[in-house]
Amino acid sequence: MVQQTFEGEVLTEPVVVEREFETVDMNINIGPQHPATHGVFRMVLTVDGEIVKDAIPYIGYMHRGGEKLSENLDYRGALGYQDRTDYLAAFNSEWVYVNAVERLAGIEIPERAEYVRLILAEFNRLLSHFMFMGAFGTDVGYFGTAFTWTFKERERIQDLFEAVCGDRIMYNYFRVGGLAWQPHETFVEDSHWVLDQVEVGIGDIDDLMTNNEVFVARCRDVGAMSAEDAISFGVTGPMLRASGVPFDLRVDEPYSIYDRFHWEIPVGERGDVYDRYLVRLEEMRQSVTILRQALDQMPTSGPIEPERMPARLRPAPGEIYMRQENPRGEYGIYMVSDGTDKPWRVKMRSPCFHNLSSLKPQVINTYLADAVVALGSIDIVLCEVDR
Amino acid sequence: MTSRRTPTAPEEPSSNEPPPGSIADTYREVMPLVSFDAAMTKGDDVALTIPSDAIHEVLERGRDDERLQMNLLRNQTAVDWEERGLEIVYHLYSIPLRQAVTIKSWLPSEGAVVESVTDIYAMADWAERECREMFGIEFIGHPDPRNLLLDEDLDIHPLRKSHPLAPIEMEQGVDVEFFTKQHPPPEPAEEEAAEPEAAAAAAPERKRLEDMTEEEREQRRAEQAERVARARELAAVRRAERLAGAPPAGGPRPEGAAPPPRPAAAPAAAPAAEAAPASAPARDDRPPAPPPPELPTIPDAEEDPEGRAAAQAERVRLGRELAAARRAQLRGG
Repeated sequence: MVQQTFEGEVLTEPVVVEREFETVDMNINIGPQHPATHGVFRMVLTVDGEIVKDAIPYIGYMHRGGEKLSENLDYRGALGYQDRTDYLAAFNSEWVYVNAVERLAGIEIPERAEYVRLILAEFNRLLSHFMFMGAFGTDVGYFGTAFTWTFKERERIQDLFEAVCGDRIMYNYFRVGGLAWQPHETFVEDSHWVLDQVEVGIGDIDDLMTNNEVFVARCRDVGAMSAEDAISFGVTGPMLRASGVPFDLRVDEPYSIYDRFHWEIPVGERGDVYDRYLVRLEEMRQSVTILRQALDQMPTSGPIEPERMPARLRPAPGEIYMRQENPRGEYGIYMVSDGTDKPWRVKMRSPCFHNLSSLKPQVINTYLADAVVALGSIDIVLCEVDR
Repeated sequence: MTSRRTPTAPEEPSSNEPPPGSIADTYREVMPLVSFDAAMTKGDDVALTIPSDAIHEVLERGRDDERLQMNLLRNQTAVDWEERGLEIVYHLYSIPLRQAVTIKSWLPSEGAVVESVTDIYAMADWAERECREMFGIEFIGHPDPRNLLLDEDLDIHPLRKSHPLAPIEMEQGVDVEFFTKQHPPPEPAEEEAAEPEAAAAAAPERKRLEDMTEEEREQRRAEQAERVARARELAAVRRAERLAGAPPAGGPRPEGAAPPPRPAAAPAAAPAAEAAPASAPARDDRPPAPPPPELPTIPDAEEDPEGRAAAQAERVRLGRELAAARRAQLRGG
């Protein structure tokens, strides 16, 4: 090996000294208050240089005992709590809860209410995925651009929600048996207008991120997980589909009226962070497809709640595990009735909780910077993890 | 506050037997030696109740058998049925075969022990940690049985029905010292700075569990157990009272089992006139709050619409007067 200095002087071959250095593993604490953890999440990483050797996640900072609270409120009273679990997809969480109560009590809901619920939940999926794109873009180094571009679209959807139910985050609009009130008169036209804008927005995000060299370099082959591992860890939602498993509760265990629409389930190949991003991006396009069909099929008028509803719900003793496809995966409500007006047991199966438990094998033997990207790709909402 | 009656829920599984050819039959074919009690849930799933010592075998063979292929453990939790014990619940799903099943098993309330399934499903790691801290079920063979959502020091099981919930349970007369004792108010800063050793000697410091000696741990466990037992006894008495229809605050207390209730807790169910002066004991120089006036009852709208409007207006007026009086009292005049 010959080295040449700037002035042209030729140096002799450098002497390489082979020697074992004693290295010491170092513990790095990240969180609980840290922008890269997307909430109050803490992990202690053991690093050897820049390589992560061990990771111990700590959760529970947001634990509010929601299950215990729900068991001490009546069936309708605990509904508002669902907005406070997954606050980025509150309509979806509310929907699972009211569906669980309705099936437990044997309540049929009118068709128009079913359509409005589905439309709002799919809009919420779009909103949540936009939020993911912005926050994830920040994780990989797009601070500013991705966030503002995605929030522009998210704002439009939030405006629509505000027109429907008067709130932008904690909607509390679904009721056991239907909806709180009729959506506003121009709901369908507004929705179509928002969808037109959102489609352009999805294309913008696609142009901004998908083929960007830095973005691909940060995401390709990071946090890769095989299908078997993902299933074993109970991973669901876009993360599982990125690993190549076409498991979507809207198709596999169809609930509500999802069997009336035609769309496709996007599936990844490698199960890495880049595939998770691509799956979510394609899911947004599919959501738009579902929404267009639902808006065309929706009855323009009709009741939004059953004619007769009991003043106090007392479902017969029994149990139900209601599960639906939330933006982050399978959200489940396990509800046990003992015949009184309060549920005997409410268990919330949170998708983020189990998706986050798969973080450890993803980050071991990767670079510290990649650990942050892998964490961001899980799309965690800590309120939902801790409940 | 409505009373909760003693559960009698899943006593009669015979009425909703799953149809022939369901997944219950497949399980019986695959594992003929295990007894499966099958029932349909409200969500049209098949729920199989098995003996608790067969859980590991049923889950492992359910995953590996070609006719079942239950590769996704989607949810794992427990239900506290009080006297009848704990029910541990596994929700399984087969992604290739698109079939779901619920596996349940009964465990004793005290000293519940079950074999961990972390070697079958990695998902069970966190799920069992949560189940352990929330219900006090021990999982044999779990690699890392620390608390997950709760503080690492806490040795309580909040999702047990015997665990009180403040403040809803406080209104029902349950002793909530249970919570407040764990976090004593901090000592004043200057006193601590002046004589830290004396302050430390006066206030028993709250040690972390790993710093304690074995005796201290034993003592602490005993203290916690005593508190739990006291709260449980009290809760049982209150529940019995509510079931009997007696007013919550008037019933007898177990002698020596519970300390006298705190002033804020006891009169919550008593008339509001008594509760108002008792709830503001902090500032003694203030005059006692005016007693709330007698409110007129509102008649039914169909019977007497005019009287109803008048009564509502009267209530609003009285309420405003009361609020004005309270405001004046707070300002010290």
